[in-house]
Amino acid sequence: MLQPVKLVFLNYQYIILAAAIFVGMLIPLSIVSEFIFLEPYVVAHLPSGSELSFLLIVIVSALSGLVLAMNVYRIKLFRRSTKSKISGGVFGSIIGAAAGACSCGPIGFAVISTFGTAGGVATAFLTNYEIPLRLAAIAILVFTFYTTSKSLSIECKIKN
Amino acid sequence: MKKKGIIFGGIVAAVIIGIIGAAALMQTGSESLNLDMGRSHGTVSTAMGSPILGSESAPITIIEFGDYQCNQCYNWFHNTKPAIFENYIETGKANLVFVDLAVLGRDSLKAATASYCAEEQGQYWEYHDLLYNSQEAINNGWANSERLKAFAFSLGLDMELFESCFDSGKFNKRVQFNINEAKKQGATGTPTFIIVNDKGQQQKIGGAQPYAVFKNVLDSMI
Repeated sequence: MLQPVKLVFLNYQYIILAAAIFVGMLIPLSIVSEFIFLEPYVVAHLPSGSELSFLLIVIVSALSGLVLAMNVYRIKLFRRSTKSKISGGVFGSIIGAAAGACSCGPIGFAVISTFGTAGGVATAFLTNYEIPLRLAAIAILVFTFYTTSKSLSIECKIKN
Repeated sequence: MKKKGIIFGGIVAAVIIGIIGAAALMQTGSESLNLDMGRSHGTVSTAMGSPILGSESAPITIIEFGDYQCNQCYNWFHNTKPAIFENYIETGKANLVFVDLAVLGRDSLKAATASYCAEEQGQYWEYHDLLYNSQEAINNGWANSERLKAFAFSLGLDMELFESCFDSGKFNKRVQFNINEAKKQGATGTPTFIIVNDKGQQQKIGGAQPYAVFKNVLDSMI
């Protein structure tokens, strides 16, 4: 399982790509989930009782970086279509990002203002089931990581 | 002479009918009479908001736009508000007004309405605190009509008065006014705070930010 990871991240470009995806998800998600505030000045804040929520955001962001970078490697190196695997990674990332992001912040209000009652129901669902949805997103990303690693192991052996 | 008497009698009758009609309208009317219709802080009309928590003459007013079902408002209530209350409100440096931005569902509106029925019996802030201490998931029934009445009962409110107030929906327009005021002030999420001092300076803080942020802003405005 670790061999394909080593193989991909031997190339520093993929480390940069994974790190960019990780940071690119973690910071916006922390902002919409109100762990980081930009005004009146930049401040990070982890309220008591929100530790699990923040931990899940970190895991979703890290797994997204890992899985998406591995799939980009696979596409570039083998010129194979990894549509199902990369879409699994993207799908997992989107679920993980959407869960809880609507809450009572500007995104939730925009959704409610635009879609009315339906928006309210969607916002309530994404807020109430934030933790289970993020766990589901993590499960999807772990499964995608497993299948991608397996494919890479097989394809690399064939290529060698 | 007889004609004049009829006209005079008619006028008196019309005035009496008018007075009785107005009194009846007030009893079933849409708003409480116990409001300072001109109350405002800076550019924010707080006329329909909560009673003032703390000293009315405090040099700073913190206006909170919030929703009883919002989890971030819950976070602020439990993590930041206690220190603000202890260091600024209890010491007379600041006071607080809550203005409803009840948009997260039907129970948000009901909870806001119920809080003003508690205000009629002088227990607005007790009811407000009880709601934030009892918050659960959005629209899962924790703030439905029965539970809101149960909260009032647990505070020892006169249930006949409370139920008649709540069931009449007489504060619906008050809550709607507050929502409109919040939107007019550019609140795009809950909680949003506008801090106003006696010199007319205003500062907006969005979200359930930590005490340190409020301390910096409040200290800079005193």
